[in-house]
Amino acid sequence: MTEIMMNSLNILAVGILLASLMAMTTPRMGQLIRIFTLQSLMLACMAALVGYHTGSEHLYIIASIIVLLKVFIIPRFLNYSIERIKVKRELEPLLGIPGSLLLSAAIVVLAYFVTEPVISLTEVITRNCLAISLAVTLIGLLLMITRRKAMTEVIGLLMMENGLFLAVISTSHGMPLIVEMGIFFDVLVAVIIMGMFAFRINETFETSDTSILKRLRY
Amino acid sequence: MDYSLFIITTLQFLALLVSAPAAVGLIRLLKARAQGRRGASLLQPYRDLRKLWRKDEQVSEDASWLFRVAPLISAASVILTASMLPVLHVTVLGPGSDMILAIYILMLARAILVLSSLEGGSVFGGMGGSRDSMISVLIEPALLLSIFSLAALAGSTELSSTAQFISQGGYLIIGPTLILAAASFCITTLAENARLPFDNPATHLELTMVHEAMVLEYSGRSLALMEYSSWLKLTVFITILVNGFLPWGISSTLDPLSLALAFVAFMFKLILALGLIALLESQMAKMRLFRLPNLLTTSFTLALLALMAFYIL
Repeated sequence: MTEIMMNSLNILAVGILLASLMAMTTPRMGQLIRIFTLQSLMLACMAALVGYHTGSEHLYIIASIIVLLKVFIIPRFLNYSIERIKVKRELEPLLGIPGSLLLSAAIVVLAYFVTEPVISLTEVITRNCLAISLAVTLIGLLLMITRRKAMTEVIGLLMMENGLFLAVISTSHGMPLIVEMGIFFDVLVAVIIMGMFAFRINETFETSDTSILKRLRY
Repeated sequence: MDYSLFIITTLQFLALLVSAPAAVGLIRLLKARAQGRRGASLLQPYRDLRKLWRKDEQVSEDASWLFRVAPLISAASVILTASMLPVLHVTVLGPGSDMILAIYILMLARAILVLSSLEGGSVFGGMGGSRDSMISVLIEPALLLSIFSLAALAGSTELSSTAQFISQGGYLIIGPTLILAAASFCITTLAENARLPFDNPATHLELTMVHEAMVLEYSGRSLALMEYSSWLKLTVFITILVNGFLPWGISSTLDPLSLALAFVAFMFKLILALGLIALLESQMAKMRLFRLPNLLTTSFTLALLALMAFYIL
């Protein structure tokens, strides 16, 4: 029983990592949002599975909030924003697809070596996912660094948040409910503000390319 | 003296050799049906081979002995690899079933094909050869890493042992490593056999062809050998895929019932794989040449992740 649970948790964790890698490969905004939705759905499944295994009911509530917020509301809002800004593709990422994929693979290896001493200390069922959660967080950061469009950077931030949440459920089976609720509310507000901000950047400069913002200095 | 093991391994080897053109015929037939055409019969590739075998051969006057020898080496190395694969029963007729050896024997066929493509002295040959060597350089790490992750999982690089280990390992063996390695191997199978997102096997358009450009100068019996070895290579790769990564149903005893079961399972998996290729090819357009590294790097990353997942999880 525990082994089946562990196996399906592992498959879900690798699926989440794979979604992050897929996000590195696609230049299309719509596809990026779909990948983020899929990643959040897998994260919700994982939270529910861990909740079932450990018997902590608040994880069910958190899983349903993830589904509501990150599978329905935030992707809808992002889609609405890219409709308004009319940005469909990332035209010139700073790093090509093969390069960013290889860099992400290196990040996965790095994350494994960094978390290995911690993994050997704990006994929780999801301890193996710690390396993956660190990798997902760092790949989200890489996505934010290497892309220029404001919306892609927002999705990178959301993916980093997914990675952090994975770290939380893999080390301590979730934080207290009130803290989680606060974080989710923060994320929602942050996404809305950033969406508005991207729209403003677009309106003022006729582009949502953030590298142009450097000119504000002059 | 018990000959039954020898008979079984010989039979499965011969069956692989005989069924290779039918496998390609099946892909073409399914593709034609998916596009609303009637399509040629399953036996058409055999008829093509017979026709080519009877025809006269034209050899360019610039060509050296390599041009004549290349089809023979290519066919021989693919046939040797076919003898190294377990199909129904886990033992093999050939010299062991080491996958690293098998892959490099296939690489030999590829190298000789690239060399011979320059022999004809035509422009297209060289172009096809340079494109093919670019693709094969990108394929090799992905292919080897997916084999390595299978080997790490099952503790052996012999396909016989991995097939036995995985098919008897129960459902717990279906983990991230196996799934990711299989996904990576699927992409490399398409690339290695010049199937659709990488190369269109049904066209001779100058600007896009890769494999067809290399065999453009061949005719008659040499062309028959070249075509046959590329068809057999597809069957060999699909056999590695289904018996290496999803070997459930393969028989490790000589019991007739389990052999029959293995036959049904293998045919089911083979036809499923061919059907998926046909479906994919009627859905997808060929990728631009300079976007191929993206897909091949994806395959490499999948395989690397498979190997990492084996150690992390």
